Amino acid sequence: MKRTQANAIALFNIFLMALFFISCESKPAHEEGEKTEHEGERRSEIVQLSKQELDEFGIELANAGPGKLKIHVSLPGEIIIPPDNLAHIHPRFPGMVKKVFKHIGDFVKKGETLAIIEGNESLTEYKVNSLIDGIIVEKHLSLGEVVDNSEHGFVVADLSNVWAMLTLYQKDLPSVEIGQKVTISAGLELPKSEGIIAYISPIIDETTRTAEARIVLKNTLGHWKPGLFVTGEIITSDVEVALLVPKTALEIFENQNVVFVQSKEGFVPRAVQIGRRNEVSVEVIGGLNPGETYVSKGGFTLKAELQKSELGEGHGH
Amino acid sequence: MKTIIDFSLKNRLLLVVLGVLVLAGGFYSYRQLPIDAFPDVSPALVQVFTVTEGLAPEEIEKYVTFPVEVAMNGLPNLDHIRSVSNFGLSVVNIYFEDETDIYFSRQLVNERLQEAREQIPEGFGDPQMGPISTGMGLILFYYLRDETGDYTLTELRTIQDWLIKYQLQTVPGVTEVLGIGGWEKQFQVIVNPDALLRYDVTLADLIEKIHANNLNVGAQFIEKNAEEFIVRSVGLAQSITDIENIVIKADDGTPIFLRQLASIEIGGAVRRGVQTMDGVKEVVSGQVVKLYGSNSSTVIGQVEQKLVEINKSLPPGIKLIPYYQQKSLVEAAVSTVTIALVQGIFLVMLILLVFMGSVRPSLVVALSIPFSILFAMIGMYYFGISVNLMSFGGLAIAIGMMVDGTIVMVENIDRLLRESNGDQPRIYAVARASKEVARPILFAISIIIVVFLPLFTLQGVEGKTFKPLAYTVSLAMLGSLVFALFLAPVFSQMIMRRPISAENSAENNENFLLRFLQKIYRPVVTFLVRKRILAVALALALFVIGALIYPRLGSEFTPTLQEGTIVMRLTLAPSISLNQSIKTTQIVERRIKKIQEVNTVVTRIGRGEVGAHTDPINSAEMYILLKDKSEWREAETQADLEDLIRDEAGNIPGVLANFTQPIQMTVDELLEGVRAELAIKLFGDDLETLKKTADEVARVIQGVPGAADVQPDQVSGTPQLLIKVDRQAIARYGINVQDVQQTVRASVGGETAGQLFEGVRRFDILVRFDENYRNTPEAISQILIEAPNGAKVPLSQLTRISEIVGPRQITRENSQRFITIQCNVTGRDIVSFVEEGQKAIDEKISLPAGYYVTWGGQFRLQQEANKRLAVVVPITLLIIFLLLYSSFNSMKNTFLILLNIPLALVGGVVGLWLTGQNLSVPSSIGFIALFGIALENGMVLVTYLNQLLRDGVDVDKASIKGALLRLRPVLMTAMTTALGLIPLLLAAGVGSEVQRPLATVVVGGLVTSTILTLLVIPAIYKWFAIDIKDEEM
Repeated sequence: MKRTQANAIALFNIFLMALFFISCESKPAHEEGEKTEHEGERRSEIVQLSKQELDEFGIELANAGPGKLKIHVSLPGEIIIPPDNLAHIHPRFPGMVKKVFKHIGDFVKKGETLAIIEGNESLTEYKVNSLIDGIIVEKHLSLGEVVDNSEHGFVVADLSNVWAMLTLYQKDLPSVEIGQKVTISAGLELPKSEGIIAYISPIIDETTRTAEARIVLKNTLGHWKPGLFVTGEIITSDVEVALLVPKTALEIFENQNVVFVQSKEGFVPRAVQIGRRNEVSVEVIGGLNPGETYVSKGGFTLKAELQKSELGEGHGH
Repeated sequence: MKTIIDFSLKNRLLLVVLGVLVLAGGFYSYRQLPIDAFPDVSPALVQVFTVTEGLAPEEIEKYVTFPVEVAMNGLPNLDHIRSVSNFGLSVVNIYFEDETDIYFSRQLVNERLQEAREQIPEGFGDPQMGPISTGMGLILFYYLRDETGDYTLTELRTIQDWLIKYQLQTVPGVTEVLGIGGWEKQFQVIVNPDALLRYDVTLADLIEKIHANNLNVGAQFIEKNAEEFIVRSVGLAQSITDIENIVIKADDGTPIFLRQLASIEIGGAVRRGVQTMDGVKEVVSGQVVKLYGSNSSTVIGQVEQKLVEINKSLPPGIKLIPYYQQKSLVEAAVSTVTIALVQGIFLVMLILLVFMGSVRPSLVVALSIPFSILFAMIGMYYFGISVNLMSFGGLAIAIGMMVDGTIVMVENIDRLLRESNGDQPRIYAVARASKEVARPILFAISIIIVVFLPLFTLQGVEGKTFKPLAYTVSLAMLGSLVFALFLAPVFSQMIMRRPISAENSAENNENFLLRFLQKIYRPVVTFLVRKRILAVALALALFVIGALIYPRLGSEFTPTLQEGTIVMRLTLAPSISLNQSIKTTQIVERRIKKIQEVNTVVTRIGRGEVGAHTDPINSAEMYILLKDKSEWREAETQADLEDLIRDEAGNIPGVLANFTQPIQMTVDELLEGVRAELAIKLFGDDLETLKKTADEVARVIQGVPGAADVQPDQVSGTPQLLIKVDRQAIARYGINVQDVQQTVRASVGGETAGQLFEGVRRFDILVRFDENYRNTPEAISQILIEAPNGAKVPLSQLTRISEIVGPRQITRENSQRFITIQCNVTGRDIVSFVEEGQKAIDEKISLPAGYYVTWGGQFRLQQEANKRLAVVVPITLLIIFLLLYSSFNSMKNTFLILLNIPLALVGGVVGLWLTGQNLSVPSSIGFIALFGIALENGMVLVTYLNQLLRDGVDVDKASIKGALLRLRPVLMTAMTTALGLIPLLLAAGVGSEVQRPLATVVVGGLVTSTILTLLVIPAIYKWFAIDIKDEEM
């Protein structure tokens, strides 16, 4: 009997020791409690923030309402001289240059004499006159030079109007039309000009696979120098939409576009359908009602708060 | 045994010399031992990092992680490989079996890394091994304080990277200095794409030209007048102007300079980590990483010295300010145990004096403490165990036990000396006394060592944490055994004197306290011996109390070691941008800074130079530095303060904040362990399917009764701008995929076009588009690609650009992708839960081909531990049993002594319950130690009772007389052990939270076990007494 008792004690010992190890390696109870708490927060997709917190995180609110949505395309291009504004001025007969009156950059009137040439055959002097009002952009004769009538002596260009030729890529063709407004700019240093698309080339260039759009620009100040590279911003559509929100209001939450809307309980993510958009704004065509207060900026913080329960511990890397 | 004692008594001088040698050796070893705060629990791990700027997780996995993993497969001693492919960073963790030599494994990894390098495409990064360090390697963090305010963050970072870093790295024992914060200096060529179009230059031309105009060459030498002139052609760009004036092309003799196409400026490189401070500014900081195995305290000391030197050499107004130092921790931890050790020694000496009543025997006993400790030091040196909280803690625990053997020995010598007559030389009495108790001492101490056996089988973190303790306890006990058996008789002979009044009876000579105790004890023990049933009832009552309390005890894993540094870890949304991350972090910093007790808050966001941390930018670690305690107003303790901080920062929108500690954090990261009880790993190939299936598995598991906190890992959530090349479109223009991608990479991401040297400092030249031309999807879609015929085509014409949500990281184990589903189990047995869960998954989910599920987590570790213990514990008990049996040659005696164990447990359980502590690994170790001590006490008494019986004394009388005579040694051994632990019980310093449960259990257990030994054993001895007649036969 004593032996069995002792055996029982020994067994108890093994049991107890084993038990200690089992129990001490189990998870502490309080940690579980914390997790369930997070779990609870996750279910309700409402975020409550105080006024102070809104300020602290730079969260801005706005009322949903209509707005103007301008959609534009940016295209590269260059300034050229309109071919009709260009006059190639040839000596009528071969001969020797006797006098030159005008030089590159000089402004000339139509009919103004540019040079005097003595004909080789007639040995008489004749005047070379400008055919248009404009600026001399090329000059190919010098005093005493014997010139041929096949080579032009001057090129005079009328730069009061220039053309901006924009390169139209395939993707732009559907949205770009004659008559659309275009803002032409050549970098920050130069003032912008506005114009209208006057022409779109009917065929596509075989090498570059691009079409051309032409905008006639007034060049009274003369800063649109031909050869300049420019960027044309074409407003392809300019409409009034019923609901316009800044792009900063959109957050992707659980694979959907959402806008955070203020309700009595707090901020709620609302899935929205997106219509047209430009760089800064989007049209909302569903999910948001006019007059509702929504988060126009800083919605990320709200989204992050909703995701908090999923952030988890330890697996941050 | 007897011959040995005779020998040692004869060769006393030799033994004293040997003893002194051990002391000297121990002291020498102690000086050589590395000093750490805690045992290093980092796994045997080699990390391979590959930084590939700008690559998404999918590409990192495909091009970098996979080749590295494949190369590492099949290494000897390999345990497993785990990898994480993040944005721009691949981390492959190669885990080796425990105890694998770190240099050996690094060498293996390095060899294979060569293969991996060949497989990784050009330009996708170069895999590098992490620093030769462990989770405890981060010994010092500092930041640069700019008192002038004149320096930019880029300049400060340059000072860090080129001045401070290299100086600090010269300190022996520093393996790496990692910079973070500010901006790494870069020469940025910011290209205007319009200008490229205007001058008809491609980005590739431009990069090539920069490369071609920035180099030095050597051209051997020429001979001139019998002298050699080395020919050297110098053409390195020296400044921004040099770069600006690089000619890209010439049209009709008109050169086009780089400056016409781009502006060149000094800027900051792309960064994945930032260091912020006090919510108002960014700072530059550095982390000093200690070499594996080097002595923390020495290295830290030298680093500090170096910091002073560096501070002198820095430009005026700039100072290095350390904000985290492991030194304070090491000092605190070591001082906690050292103080406990010293106090313990003191208390033990006091007990000795009180009980022995004279100085000389006390001196002999006390000598065993330094001997045992220094003996243990030699062992520590031999086994490569560092001085730390646990190993020194082991010594502190053992202090009380170290003297036990010698107490028994000296007590017996003392007794026999008193009894012996003056004619005999003392040496005879000493020899007789020694021989009498040598055997029980040998067995008793052996048993204490044996009970620690299960500790040596602990694995993983617990193993690494508690094995040093097991080692030091065993070593110290071994030392005490050597002392008790060989040196104690020698010293007794040399030091102890025969009592002057030898005629007085022994009892009269005993001191007052003992006489008083005996006065109380005698009637009690006599009564109990007569009424045995009462003694049994007492034992049973105690046992019932224990059994009732036991289930009430909570349980926890190892209590967390408090490092004394408050670190708050912030986890932000996975898709967060660095700038938003900084903003949010600074809001938290400002809130915490408002707390009066807080001096400074320094936060690391993301990662700096790769090597120590691999955190993404949505994770931030906030070091909260406190003012001196005298300035505290609202908070009194650190816990109060943590509450205050939690109030301020606990509930910030979008921020998950929790407290952690520097070492704990790093070690956790290395272990990559799953905290939950159950980790269901789903392996498979396709990320999308994997995620969907994981969600399904989570749903099914959620339905199993007992499931709690079921959560699949969040692996997705990083938005991507996906640029997919339209093959038909590029075919029309005759453009290659590569042309498109290179342009995208260089224009949006930037491409390095050589380096610019400033002395030995070198800075990248980065070519990239102007920000306005690459920072929105719309802008990117307009980037032009040149076709072979010269046509320029916008990206949107050639590709489909979409915004999607992609994976945040891809985790792989043993070359396969997986997702972990974590889960806890409440209110039921975990094994049955797993079975039911497995069945549910089999029935409800049809896993796609090639997909499978494994079950792991803490539960697996527990099962393994239990399996091991199920073997080791019975073996231990068997050994104890055999030891006891061979000592007593009696089954009955053996059982009587084993009876001590359950009653000792009761005291431990009650002790824990009273102090409100939990069952944990340390308390289990306390129980183990308790076993040994309880057995030892029992042995001391029973041996003597047997002795009396053999001398022909009646059982009842023997019981009473024996108990009375043995009151002194039993009480002494019990009290020395208990008092030796009191300092640990009351300590409040760093690390005390680990030692306290252990001490509580032992002290509590000693109370009950002493009661048992003194009251119950004599009472029931009759039933278990040896049969004299049997022995004679």
